[in-house]
Amino acid sequence: MRHSVLIAVLALSTLGAGAALADDDCDSPMADWQPRSAVQQMAEAKGWTVRRIKTDDGCYEIKGWNANGDEIEVKVHPATLEILEVEIEDDDDDKEGDGSSSISAPDAPGAAPGQNPASKNRLINKNSQPSAVVE
Amino acid sequence: MKKFAAALVLAATIGLPSLAAAREITFTTQLKEYGGAGAYIALYVTDSNGQYQGTLWMAGGKSKYYKHLSDWKRASGGDLGEIDGITGASVGSGKTLTVKIDLADTLIDAGYQIHVDAAVEDMRDSPSEIVVPLTSSGAGQPAAGRAYVQSFSYSM
Repeated sequence: MRHSVLIAVLALSTLGAGAALADDDCDSPMADWQPRSAVQQMAEAKGWTVRRIKTDDGCYEIKGWNANGDEIEVKVHPATLEILEVEIEDDDDDKEGDGSSSISAPDAPGAAPGQNPASKNRLINKNSQPSAVVE
Repeated sequence: MKKFAAALVLAATIGLPSLAAAREITFTTQLKEYGGAGAYIALYVTDSNGQYQGTLWMAGGKSKYYKHLSDWKRASGGDLGEIDGITGASVGSGKTLTVKIDLADTLIDAGYQIHVDAAVEDMRDSPSEIVVPLTSSGAGQPAAGRAYVQSFSYSM
């Protein structure tokens, strides 16, 4: 997921707009970037254990664990070191994709039994549940 | 009783034909040993004019990465309502994703195409890595991808 172009940050005022545009990137020129050691220092000051610091969408991204031992992914402004987003990974995180897993599409809350919740999707038969297996 | 009778008529005229006109199709996507993190995979359908018709499956749980499935994103508008209930785990290097879906018979041998977009963290995005027609004669015929997909096929 390589990015060659830095995209200007859009001021997203609502979650809906965020989901639609899916960009909350940083746009600082490289000359303004703080060194990785500053990011590491900031993280450690917060009690985080850093596994990795990378750049993603023009921002720093810290992967590691918070003081409670939760796995976290934090997006940090590269110039100001402002924390833009903290994501706490849940147990069923599938990012690594290792091991076998089997998924059936769950019913949406309030959906009739056996009714596919993907109501906006015209392809899926409403009376059946798609299923997927990774092995 | 009237309602029951009406429901029966409705089922006979609408429900049953639609059930009869669908069939289960199994889509199998086997990945190469590319050596990276779990791949995000989007399976979706376009018509003979290349117009997006809908998504069949989204492998990968974090919507913020869906933009890397760039052809899917462009075609679908990134509408998460489209993939509500048809999203699962990302697919690890060398693993195989098998998706079973009931699809209407009208989608088969009618010019529709199956697309597979793939993306892996810190690696190159691969939109429309696979594009194959959805036909009865194409069933069981494997197609090779250019980046992450070793082999894609469907059976019906």
